[in-house]
Amino acid sequence: MISWVYLGIAVLFEIAVAFSAGNAQGFTRLWWTIATLVSGAIATFFLSLALLEFDVGVGYSIWTSVAGVGIVVIGAVFFQERLNPRKLSGIAMVIGGVIGLRLSGAA
Amino acid sequence: MSNTASNQTSTSRAWVMLLLAGAFEIVYALSVAGSQAFTVLSWSISAIVFFLLTLYALSVALKTIDVGIGYAVWAGIGAVGSAVFGSVLLDQSLTLPQAFWLAVIIAGVIWLKLASSEKLQPEKSELVAS
Repeated sequence: MISWVYLGIAVLFEIAVAFSAGNAQGFTRLWWTIATLVSGAIATFFLSLALLEFDVGVGYSIWTSVAGVGIVVIGAVFFQERLNPRKLSGIAMVIGGVIGLRLSGAA
Repeated sequence: MSNTASNQTSTSRAWVMLLLAGAFEIVYALSVAGSQAFTVLSWSISAIVFFLLTLYALSVALKTIDVGIGYAVWAGIGAVGSAVFGSVLLDQSLTLPQAFWLAVIIAGVIWLKLASSEKLQPEKSELVAS
């Protein structure tokens, strides 16, 4: 169970990576570049803790996919990006898949 | 119009960079797993190096390629690749239900990234031939 917590923390910092990298503008802006690298280091470390228990394919895929969902949801809530039916179906597939993996005994 | 040829060159170069970013991401994922929570030095160094390589290659590729499409391809390569190579190289074979749900997740994230693409919005009539 603690592996899922590690994976959740890694997801939060991966969302921070995407946000910082987007603002770093090709890594020409110093502080956003530093934020990208620091978030990436923290995300990677917590991913490595989760992967002590998860198989790499499972843990890695949950990590990137849930972060992808988080980015879209944050975009919709805070940046007025539109959620269309296609995005919602993608989100549903990722969440359904994660629940399926949890129930089929992946860590 | 004279720069059509150079546009094509930079587009194909961008796609090579994107595929490289996907390959780097697979090595990154396997290295993070192999590092045993950063207690094994060689795999830890490999993870850091390939993290930086992925970031660089992806940022170069996404200057030319649409972000939604680029992320979809990159995320797909990384996820499928880490599952396949993880099972082969690290002997982490998946059960059939796990492989099924993994496929659902990966398809979901690719679909989600494509749905975020500016170029693939259905209401835009001008389709870009690349």
